[in-house]
Parts: sequence; structure tokens; C-alpha cells
Amino acid sequence: MNKVMSNKWIIFLYTFPALLLIAVLIVIPLILSGYFGLMDWDGIGTMEFIGLDNYITALQDSKFWDSTLHSFLLALFSACSLIGYLAVALILASKIKGASLLRKIYLIPMLLSSVAIAQLWIKVYNPSNGMLNSILVGLGIENPPAWLADPSIVLYAIFVPIIWQYAGFYILIYYAALKNIPESLIEAAKIDGATPLQIALEIKVPLIMNVFKVTIVLSIVGSLKYFDLIYVMTGGGPNGASEVMASYMYKLAFSSYNFGYGSAIGFLLLIITLIVTVIIRKITANKDEIQY
Amino acid sequence: MRRIGYILLYICLALVAVFQIFPIIWLFMFSLKTNQEIFAGNPFAVPLDPKWGNYLKVFEGGIGVYFWNSIWITALATVLTILIASMATFAITRMKWKYSGLVLGVIMVGLMIPIHSALIPLYNMFLNVNLIDNPLSIVITYITYNLPITVMILLGFYTTIPREIEEAAIIDGSSIHRLFFRIILPISAPIMSTTVIINMIYNWNEFVFVNTFISSEKYKTLTVGIQNFIGQYMTDWGAIGATLVISVLPIIVAFLFFSNKIMEGITASAVKG
Amino acid sequence: MKMKKAITMLAFLVVSILLLAACGGEDAGGTGSGNTKSIKFMHLWPEGSSAQHYKVVNEIIADFEAENDGITIDLEVLSNEQYKDKIKVLSTSNELPDVGMTWAAGYMEPYVNGNMFASVDDIIESDLSDSFVPGTAEAFSIDETAYGLPLELNISTIFYNKAIFDEYSLEEPQTMDELYEIIDTLNKNGVNPIALGNRDAWTGSMWYMYLADRFAGEEDILTQAINREGSFEDPALVQAAEEIQSLVDSDAFVQGFNGLADEEAKSMFMGEQAAMYLIATWDLPNFTTNEDVPQEFRDSVGYFKFPTVAGSGDPNSYVGGPGVGLFVSENSDVKEDAKEFASYFVQQWGERAVTEVGIIPATKVDADSLELPEMYVDVLNDLNEATNITLYADVQMSASAAQVHLDMIQALFGGEITAEEFAKTHEDTLSAED
Repeated sequence: MNKVMSNKWIIFLYTFPALLLIAVLIVIPLILSGYFGLMDWDGIGTMEFIGLDNYITALQDSKFWDSTLHSFLLALFSACSLIGYLAVALILASKIKGASLLRKIYLIPMLLSSVAIAQLWIKVYNPSNGMLNSILVGLGIENPPAWLADPSIVLYAIFVPIIWQYAGFYILIYYAALKNIPESLIEAAKIDGATPLQIALEIKVPLIMNVFKVTIVLSIVGSLKYFDLIYVMTGGGPNGASEVMASYMYKLAFSSYNFGYGSAIGFLLLIITLIVTVIIRKITANKDEIQY
Repeated sequence: MRRIGYILLYICLALVAVFQIFPIIWLFMFSLKTNQEIFAGNPFAVPLDPKWGNYLKVFEGGIGVYFWNSIWITALATVLTILIASMATFAITRMKWKYSGLVLGVIMVGLMIPIHSALIPLYNMFLNVNLIDNPLSIVITYITYNLPITVMILLGFYTTIPREIEEAAIIDGSSIHRLFFRIILPISAPIMSTTVIINMIYNWNEFVFVNTFISSEKYKTLTVGIQNFIGQYMTDWGAIGATLVISVLPIIVAFLFFSNKIMEGITASAVKG
Repeated sequence: MKMKKAITMLAFLVVSILLLAACGGEDAGGTGSGNTKSIKFMHLWPEGSSAQHYKVVNEIIADFEAENDGITIDLEVLSNEQYKDKIKVLSTSNELPDVGMTWAAGYMEPYVNGNMFASVDDIIESDLSDSFVPGTAEAFSIDETAYGLPLELNISTIFYNKAIFDEYSLEEPQTMDELYEIIDTLNKNGVNPIALGNRDAWTGSMWYMYLADRFAGEEDILTQAINREGSFEDPALVQAAEEIQSLVDSDAFVQGFNGLADEEAKSMFMGEQAAMYLIATWDLPNFTTNEDVPQEFRDSVGYFKFPTVAGSGDPNSYVGGPGVGLFVSENSDVKEDAKEFASYFVQQWGERAVTEVGIIPATKVDADSLELPEMYVDVLNDLNEATNITLYADVQMSASAAQVHLDMIQALFGGEITAEEFAKTHEDTLSAED
């Protein structure tokens, strides 16, 4: 048994395609971006080697730290909302009437491209004609905020569509995981007199803990490098109030023609993400693998 | 008491459902409006004079080619991603070897790269191997950039597959290939359907790579078709809405299909198990 | 059985990929061979959004191909943002198209310094001598050498809704004081005075630039501050920043302007939800010929020159400048043919740009000999009387200074910084670059 399952040739055959692709198309560009980070380069003319200058500048750049803080806030909110997604998935996966239809409806927004989602939320947030402020005015609130213009609100305003955009993704994963739990376990618990809530919290959730841990990593890593809606909806503004690491990097490399510095920021983003991931993996490490 | 609880639950669920279905309806209305109605009007409003011409513009813009490219590129990249990711996940989680952790680590690093960091190096590489303006560059990039997330999703499930299944198969004299293709893959059908849906959505909606690597009209995809309506100073949002509606339809159909597969797969494997 | 299926499928996929790769390879080998030369041309006027631009470009290309046997133009069209991103990626790999579009001054500087653009002095001296409006070709010059052939020229003016003005018996303002009165009247009657979409910051920048120009009087202090002949902490530039905040304080602009895109602001103006809108002449078609815009609205749009402030400033001094121009790639294999095409393009573009496309070209046109909507004739006449055109600040500055400028504009309008801080940040940024 062990001999078959540790056949080196098979292991090579099964992992080689994935490793080759990732090495060539992801790892090499990553190393290159770290390397460009050592250069003073506008992306067009000649490169000049300046050592760690870009990295040192970044560490003293308050805009970089602000954008890092914003990215971490997004990661925190995303990770917390996982609990909400899990709750929805538990309801949808339980045997209530219409669950199948509800599940399909709930996942529809995830099918839309970022272009559509951004346009929708721009209309939601429009200060005078927007849906949100129309409702608030209707409720008698005199001066509803200008959601995307107020530097103290814009960041949180833009988190809402991001978290909403990804709801379907996580609900889908949790749903598949919950449906994978053998029916026999749940039946047995029911016979023992467990309530639906008990079954959910004491049987279902522990059984999909592995999947939950993976989604924590996915949501945090995804948040730290998040770009799309922020770029389209606010462009990081006003005056950097909604800037995140990836949008700052893009601005430097593509708009400000500071490709060397932009690459350095991109590389730092990777390092930060890597450290955070290692920490999460450590915290959530399996003490006793759950098997059934 | 319990009954009231259920009624409340259903009211909540229904409210959320309305909220979630609204974007599609909104998008459809959007596609029938002029810029003026889109920006200054009430977003809820039904257009008084629906602009079906927006759809006409989209078809005149040669959407057919884009559509076909989107379909085959998405399908090919999705199938290959899932096959390659499943194989790697199988080797990492089910087989015994020293470096499985390291390999997983490398794959996870792939999750972390911001695509704009990779864009210029990738362009250069594809240029050197003459793959610029070749749809193959897009397919390869899609596969690679979706591999890490696909492996991560599969990972959680592969670790819960009971050892006994493998042991039984091996004792029966099955080869590893047979074990993987005939037993493990079918068991993981529900989660594969999940990853199919996710990959499909990502590939279908991607445009940074297509825009950078492809220049010929004949290879462009639907997301680039949208760009056709964005001008130097003016953008035709109604036509963009129409393109978005047209492009979301196939993905809804595919989604409903694979969403049912999640259920079917489970019943099938339950019978076998 | 299933495994066989899987393997067959895999094999099929591998074969199809190889086939595709082979096809791609053949295609790549096919271009440029034989007797025909191919000029790669990229522009940013897609058919869907800019049908007239697209059509005229294609007709010019067809004419050029007909006149020049053996030369074909290989066209790629992208939208504005995508065009900028792609040009950037192409240039890092030295793969720029033979002919493409560029913006003036600060935008093209890195390309010129990196030897990516060819000098077009020879074209301007021979084929196009004396055909550009003064100042436009200069905006595409660095160290006295021209690297771009301008295609458009825009000036900014304040467009206003005559119907709203009539309703409240308002007149076109000549001075800022009059403008403040108008703003006051409109606010009292619950009408938004000015539509502004400052998410795109260059919109707010135009307001700032005009005030700077008016405070400065005769001299172009803003331009001097940017090209380091002067200081950004000049009193006129600080006063202009203060004036912006006083405009904001008197509720001149629509609510939440810092979160609105220009497009949203424009729709408010066009939807008669705001009375005034400062924008450049590229929007003229929307106010004259665009059939998608209601006739009633188009008839009620007028424009006035930016008012003078406290007796200072010249109303005939404008903020504006050339938009895009053509560049020829320095490393092109067909550079001479590419130059010929660029030159041909500019010559054909001029009159057709204004009559068919509806934009003001950078080449001189005789307004009286053409049949044009009244507003075009007025703008062209104003242009002839212009005493000065200050090039958009974000175009004048280097790309990274422009980014600081735009961020500071948002902060200034948002009241996050004082006028002095605004000026100081600019001064620091500009002097650090020098």
C-alpha cells in the first residue's frame, strides 16, 4: 500500500504540470518584479541599479502604509464576513423548502463581472440620484452622506460591494462541503435528539473545518491583493482615502511611470501576504485531523 | 413558536433573495437606457422608451467572434485547470512524500501575486516564444493563474476522503491512475462542479490579460468587446449594458447546469460509497 | 472505460493546443513577408463609442493604401485606459506600433527620453509647415524637437443652461462676483449651480487653473511654476486655491462632487439638474449635433468665458490644449513609410475632423468656409482671438507630479488641506523632480 502511494514517478507525473506552469508564469515574474524593484526605471528608458532604495522609500512612504492599513482592514472585514456566509450556507444546505431555488438566486451576483458590479454600486451610492440616499431621504434623513466623496466613509462604503461580490463564492464552497457530509451522521444525531442548531454547530461545522480554514486563507490573501472595484469606483480617492496596496502599486507602475518603485511595492505586497498566510496557517494548524 | 421562527426565517431569506436577484433586473433595465437615463435618472425606473438599438449596436460590433472565443477559451482553460489541479491535489494530499508541503507552499505563493506585477514580465516571455497575439497565451495564463485557488478549494475536500477507499482499491490491485480517474475524481464530482463554476466565472470575465496579449480582432473575447463602447471622452453605457446582458446569459445557463451537478454528484457517490 | 475516456480527452486537448500553437506561429511568420509592407497603427477611437472618428480614420487609411501600392495599414483599436496600459507594456518590450497616439508634454516625456518616439521635425517643416495652430505642435516638443503631430485642440469654457438662467433672470457673468451672485440665486431656489465630477480630479484642476490664470493677470505664473521658472508658492497660485475653497463653501458645486465621475456630473448638467458645467470643447457634439441628446436641451445650451476675478485676468486667456497626437516609433522597421502615413493622416484629418467628427483639429481651419453649427463657429472665432492657452496642468507635469497634483486637487476641494499646504506640496514635489 505505502509503496504504491509513494511512487516517485507518479508523484512527479501528477505534480509536474502544475509546478511547471506556476514556476514559469508566476514564480519567474515574481522574482523579476523583486528585481525591477531594485531599479530606478520608468519602464521605458534604461534601468539604473539603485539597490534597496525603492524598498527603503516604501517603508518611509506614508501612502504605502495607509494603503497597507486599508488592505488589512479589508482582509479583516472579509474574514469576519465568512461567518455570515457560513450561516447562510448552513440554512441553504438544510432541508428547508425551496432551498435549491434560493441557493441559485443567492449566487447570481457572483456571475456578474466587476464592470457590472461597479456600475451598480456607483448608482447605489450616487449622492443625489442614488438608490441608497433616495431611501434615506425618504426615511426623513436630511443630509445623507456622500458615500464615495467623504474620506472618512469611502473605505467602508467600498468594502460593502466587495464583500457582497464574494458572498456567492464562499457560500458555494461551504454549500458543497456541507452536502459532502454523510447523511448517516446527521440522521444518527437526530435520533439522539439533537436540535437543528446543535447539529449545525456540533456536527456540521466541525466536519467542514478544513474547508473553513482554507477559505480564511483565500479571503485574506484575496483581500490583501484586491484591486478591481476600488480601481473602477473610486480610483483610490479622494486623495488616497480608499487606496489599497494593489491600486497604489498599479498607480505607480502604470500611471506615474515609476515602474521600479511600483514593482518594489508589488514585491512587498507579496512578502506581507506571505507572512500573513504563514501566521494564519500556524494559528489554524490541524491539531487532530478530522476524519469520518 | 417554532412556526413563527420559520416564517421569520423565510421572510429574511426572501428579502435577501430579492436583493440578490435585483442586480440582474437592474442590468437588463440599464441595457435599455440612454446615458442620460442611466446617470441622472432613477436606477429603479423602467425605461419609457426602451433602447433596443443598444443590442443592435452590439451585434453590429461583431460580437459573434468574441462570443465564440470566450466560449472555447473559457471551456478549454477550465477543463485543463481542473484536471491539472486535481492531479496535483491528489499527489499532495493522498500520496506519501517528503516535499508535499513545499510543493503546496509554491502553489500557494501563486495565490498572492498581484496580476499587474506579472503583466510586463509575462508579456516579455510570451513575446520571446512568439505567443503574443495567440490565444494559447491566454489559455495558459488562465490555467496557471486559476490553479492555486482551484487547488486550495479541492484541498479541503481531498483531506476528508476516507483512507479506506484507497486501501480497498489498491488491495484490489488497482493502479494509481485507475484509482485517481475511476474513484477519486468521481467522488470529488460535487467539489469539481464548484471549481468549474468558479473557474468559468473568472475566465469568462477576465480582461486584463486578453487586452494585453491579444491584438487581433479574431482572437478577442467578450470582455474586450465591452471596451469597444468606451470612447476617449464619451462612453456608450447603454451598449455596454447590452453587452453585459448578452455575456451573462451563457454563464447563467452554465451555472444552473453545474449547480445541479453538485447535487447529482453527491447522490451518485453516495450510492457507490 | 472512464479512464480511457479521460485519456482520450486529454490527448485530444494536447493535440488541439499544439495545433493552435502551430497556427499562431504561421500567422506570426506571415506578416511583413513578400512585397507588401505593413504599418502597424494603434488608435483609441473604437467603433462603438466613436463611430465618426472610426469611420473617418478608416477612410483615410483606405485612401492612403490606394495611393501607396504595396503598403497596408495594420490597425488595432483600444479604449482610452486600455490603450494607455497597453502602450506602456509594449514599450517595455520595445514593441510599440509604427504609428500610434500619444498625449503631449509630461505624458510623452519618458518615451522621448527612452528613445521610443522618432522626431517629426522633418514632417512639420516639409509637408505641414504653418498648418498647425500656434502652440499645439510646441506642446508635443521636447527641447525644441517635435515628437508628435497634434490632432485635436480643446479649450475649456463654462457651458450653461439658458432655460435655467432665464427662469431666474440671470445673465452670463463677466466677473467672479457676478458668478457668486448667480450661485447664490440658484442655491436659494434649490437648483444645483455647477456640475463637477471631481473623482477624475482633472475636472477640478481646470477650475483651479482658470482661477490661477485670472489671479496671475498677464503672466502665465502656473506654467512658470511647473517648468520651474517660478515658484508654486506665488501669491496668485495660493489665492486661486483659497478661491476654490470659497467656491466650495458657497455650495457652488453639486453634492458629493469628490465621489462623482465626470460622466455622472455631465449627465446632471445634461439632465438639467445643474445649471453650469466647465468642460472642454470635446463635448461640443453633445450640445449641438448629437441626435441622442434631446433637441430641446441642445437648443438651451450656451457658453461663456471663464470670468475675471477682482478686476484681474484676461477673458481671452484659456485653459486647454491639444488632446492626442500621432507619434512615429523610433524603432520602426518601416519608419519612413510610417512618417509618410502620419503626415498624410494629419493633412486629411483637419477639415474632416471638424465637419464630420465634430472635434476642433489642431490644424488651422477656415471656419467661415465650412458649414458648421453656430457654437462651433463661435468657438473657432474665440480660438482666433485667444491671447493665451495654458496647457492642462496634469498634461504639463511629469506623470508622477501629475498624480500628486490630482490628489491635491481632491484634497483642496474636499477641504482636507489649506491653500498654503496645497501650494507647498506642489512646490516640494516639483522642486524635488528638478
